[in-house]
Amino acid sequence: MSAIAMNVNGSNVRKEVGDSTLLVEFLREHLGLTGTHVGCDTTQCGCCVVHLDGVSVKSCTVLAAQAAGRAVTTIEGLARNGELHPVQKAFREHHGLQCGFCTPGMIMAAVELIATYPGRLDEHVVREEMEGNLCRCTGYHNIVRAILAAASQMLGPDRVVQPPADHMPAPRKSEG
Amino acid sequence: MEPKLKFKAVGQPIRRNEDERLITGHGRFTDDFSLPGQVWTAMVRSPHPHAAIVGIDSSAALEMEGVLGVFTGADLAADGLGEIPHNPVPSTKYDMKLTGRGGTPVYIGDHFLLPTDRVRHVGEALAMVVAETRQQAQNAAEAVMVDYDLLPWVADTAAAAKPDAPRVWDALPDNVLVDSSFGDQENTAAAFARATHAVSMHYHLGRVTGAPLEPRAALGHYDAASGRYTLYAGSGGAVRQKHEMAAVLGVTPDKLRVISFDVGGNFGTRNRAFVEFGLVIWASKKIGRPVKYRADRTECFLSDYQGRDLVVEISLAIDAEGKFLALRSDNLSNVGSHCVSLSPLSKGSGLITGSYDIPYATLRSRAVYSNTMSTQAYRSSGRPEVNFALERLIDKAARELGFDRLELRRKNLIKPSQMPYTNAVGSQYDSGEYEKNMDRLLEIGDFAGAQTRKAQAKSRGKLYGIGSTNYVESSIGTPKERADLIVREGGIEIVIGTQPAGQGHQTSFAQVTADLLGVPFETVTITLGDTDIVSAGGGTHSGRSMRHASAVISMAVTDMIVKAKTILAESLGVAPSDVQFEDGMFRSPATNRTVDWFELARLAVTLSPDYADGVKVRRDNEMHTPVFPNGACMCEIEIDPETGGLEIMRYATVDDVGRCINPMIVHGQTHGGIAQGVGQALWEGCVIDPDSGQPLAAAFTDYGMPRFDNMPSFITEIAEVLSPTNPLGIKAGGEGGTTPAPAVIMSAIDDALRDYGPPGISMPITPVKVWTAIHKGAGAI
Repeated sequence: MSAIAMNVNGSNVRKEVGDSTLLVEFLREHLGLTGTHVGCDTTQCGCCVVHLDGVSVKSCTVLAAQAAGRAVTTIEGLARNGELHPVQKAFREHHGLQCGFCTPGMIMAAVELIATYPGRLDEHVVREEMEGNLCRCTGYHNIVRAILAAASQMLGPDRVVQPPADHMPAPRKSEG
Repeated sequence: MEPKLKFKAVGQPIRRNEDERLITGHGRFTDDFSLPGQVWTAMVRSPHPHAAIVGIDSSAALEMEGVLGVFTGADLAADGLGEIPHNPVPSTKYDMKLTGRGGTPVYIGDHFLLPTDRVRHVGEALAMVVAETRQQAQNAAEAVMVDYDLLPWVADTAAAAKPDAPRVWDALPDNVLVDSSFGDQENTAAAFARATHAVSMHYHLGRVTGAPLEPRAALGHYDAASGRYTLYAGSGGAVRQKHEMAAVLGVTPDKLRVISFDVGGNFGTRNRAFVEFGLVIWASKKIGRPVKYRADRTECFLSDYQGRDLVVEISLAIDAEGKFLALRSDNLSNVGSHCVSLSPLSKGSGLITGSYDIPYATLRSRAVYSNTMSTQAYRSSGRPEVNFALERLIDKAARELGFDRLELRRKNLIKPSQMPYTNAVGSQYDSGEYEKNMDRLLEIGDFAGAQTRKAQAKSRGKLYGIGSTNYVESSIGTPKERADLIVREGGIEIVIGTQPAGQGHQTSFAQVTADLLGVPFETVTITLGDTDIVSAGGGTHSGRSMRHASAVISMAVTDMIVKAKTILAESLGVAPSDVQFEDGMFRSPATNRTVDWFELARLAVTLSPDYADGVKVRRDNEMHTPVFPNGACMCEIEIDPETGGLEIMRYATVDDVGRCINPMIVHGQTHGGIAQGVGQALWEGCVIDPDSGQPLAAAFTDYGMPRFDNMPSFITEIAEVLSPTNPLGIKAGGEGGTTPAPAVIMSAIDDALRDYGPPGISMPITPVKVWTAIHKGAGAI
C-alpha cells in the first residue's frame, strides 16, 4: 500500500492504494468516477481513455501510482460550469453514440485529437488517429461526423475538411 | 376507438433523451454499481473442450488471503438449485416448428449454474471463488485444483453431426437434437425434374461473437430481513431474467428484483441468462454480503453466448428463361454445448426462399450439440446465414448460366401485387416493394458509373468488384408486452418491459406517446429496467420493441382517453359522451371548457385520492403476427493484388422498416448493423484449433473487429412501406443492416476475383486468403 496524491478534474485527492492498483480502478472504485469504463484487458478498446496532464492514456494500462503528482481529467470533468464540451455536444447532435459504453473514451480521445493534431483534420485522419478506440454500435459513421463537426467549431472551418453531406432523403412512403 | 393521429414528433430526427447522461459519464451500467460490504467472485473455468470432473480440491485456494469461499456444482445441488429454464424452442404461432427426429420433443441438456459431472466446452465455469477483492478471487481461482478425465470432443459443425462423433449428451444417441423437414417434397422434386438448370452450393457460415463492449457483469445482494434478492445485471430484458433466476433459486418471482439500466451493447447475445447471474445472488445469501462479478474480455470471448455457425447445402431449379422453379436446402445449426436458443435455425428456416417468388421448396433443418460455447440469436438471428446461401447461389447461377445477376434477381422478385405473400415454407410476408428497393439501390449506389470506376481502379493497379443483394427478414419475438401509462400534472410516464442497449427507446417511445396523446415530446418520460417498477414485458430482441411498444402504447392511450373522459365528465358535471377529445385537448361544448392532459390530471386529484400519483392505465397486448422488413444492399471494393488488402469504396442500402419513428436512430441502427455483418465477412471468427479444441480468439488482439480505419462511410436510405399488421405500420429497423452484409461483401469480392477461378473463399476473407486466390488460384486456399 502507498499513499498517492493527484489532481482529478480540478480537485486534489489523496488515497491509500495497493501498489498494483490501475488508474482506472482508482478512478472507478476509489473515487467513484464510473464514467471511465473497462472494456478489455489488452489496451485495445479505448473505453478507459482519460487525460493525464492533457495527454490521452488508456487508464487500464497505467498504474495509479504513475499518475501521482499529475493532473487527470475524466469524462466527468470535461464539461465546465455546467456547459458541455463541444465534442460532447457534437456526439449528441450527430448521434455519435448508441449504447454509450465506449463514448467516454471516444470523447476523451477525440478531444485530445482536436487539441493536438497539427494539420488539417479530415475523415481519413480521424479514422487513422482514432483507430485505438472500438465501438460496436455505430459503425463509426456518425462518430466521424461528430468529431469533424466539433473540430470545425473549435478550430475554425479552415482547419477541417468536412465529409460529403449525408444522404438522408425523406423516406419513400407507401401505404403497403 | 383508434386515437386520431397527427404526427409531430414521429418521423423526426429528435436528439436522444439518453445522451445527456452517457456523454457526461453518468450512465448506470452494471459494473458502475457497488454496495456496502461487497465482495468479488471469479470463476474456475475448464481448460478442456470435454472432460469428466473427477475431483475439485479447493484447500489451497481457501488458505489464500481474502478468500471467503469456494463453491462447486455439488454445493448448488445440495441447496437444491435448478437448471436455467432457457426455453430454447421458438413457440409463437408463427415460428417454424422444430422437433427431434420423427417429431419427437427436442432434447435439451440440462444447464445448471455449475456442472457436477462434466465440462463440455473450453471456458465452462465449474467452480466459483469468493474473496474480498477481485484480484484475490482471480488469484485463488488459479489455485483451485481440478482433476479431469479427458473425453473425446467435437467442435466442427459437420463433424458433430456424424453418427460416430463424440457425444456431448449421453441421453442422445448422437449429437442431433433437431431434425425437422418443411415444404412440399413432391412438387419440389417435380420442379427439379423439369428444370432446365439446377445449381448447388455448400457453405459453412462460421461462428462469431457479439462482443458488446461492456463485459458482462452481475452484482447480487440478498437482504435477510426481507428475504429478497436483488440482481444488478445488464441483459436483453430484466423481466425474463427475474423469472428464470427465481426458477433457478426455487423462489417465487416476487422474491427477486432485477435491475438492468444502461446496457453496453447486446446484439442478442445478452438475451439469455448467464450462469454468473444466478451465482452472485446465491453466493450473496451464502456469504451474507453482496457479491460482484465482472468478466474480463477473455472470459467474454470464451463464455459469452456466440452467434451464427450454420452449414448449408442449397440447390435451385431454374427454367430456360431464368425463372426460379424450386429450392432445396439442408440447414445444420451448431448450438454448442448447451441449447439455449434455436431461434437462429428457426428464423432462418422460414426465410430460405428470400425475396423471390419460388413456388416450391423443401427444407431439412437440423441442430447439433458440440463441445463449443453455446450459440444464441446474434444480430439478425439466422437471417444473414440463409440470405448468404441464396444470394450467393443466385450469383453463381448467373455466372454459370450466363444471366445478368441483377436481371436474374429482378425477374424473380416478389411483386407488391402478390402481398401478402406466403412463401414455399409457409411464412407470410406482410408487405413490401422489393423491386422499388432494388431500383433505388442501383441509383444511389451509382451502378451506372461502375464501369468508369472499374477503369479508374485498374489504372491504379487495383482489382475492382461490385456486388448487390436483396433481402427479406422476419421480426417475430415474444408476443406479449405491457405498458403502464401514467398522466400526472407534471408530465407523462410510460413504464414498459423492453430493454434497450443503445436503440434509444427513451426517445422513440416518447415520440410515439407524445403524438398519440397530443402532448409535447419533452413532457414524456419512459421508465425501463427495474422489475420492481416494470411488472411484465418481453424484453428486446428480434426487432420487436418499436412495434410491440407502439402497439401496446396505442392501446393504453385509447383506454386512457376513455378514462379521462369519464373523469372530466364527473369533474364538469356532464355526461362522458359530452366530452370530446381531439389533438391533445378535451372539450366540453356544454360547459365551454377546454382541458389538456395535465389539467386533467390536476382535476382528477380533486375528485379522488386514488389519482394522487396520477391517472393510470395498464394495458397488456398479445401480438403474434410477424412483420418482414426488407431491402436491398450494394457494395464496391478494391483489392490490392500485391497484398490481398481490401478496401470498401462504397456501401449503400435501401431498408424498408415500415413506419420510421426516428430516422436519425434508424440510420444509426443500419450503420451499426452493416459493421457487424461486414465484420463477419472480413475479419471476425471464433476459430477453434482443430487439434486441441482450444478457441484461438480470446482477446481483441486476435479477434478482428470493425474499426474506424477499416470501415467506410455509408449511404443509407429508408423506405416506409407500412405494415398492415400493427397500429402504426411498423416493421423493424435494427437488423436490416446486418442481414445482407456478408452476402454483399462476398458478391463484390467474387466480382473482383472473377478472373482467378471459381469463388469459394470461406469467411472471414482475410488478405492472405485473397492474396492466395490471386497468386496461387482459389483452389490453393
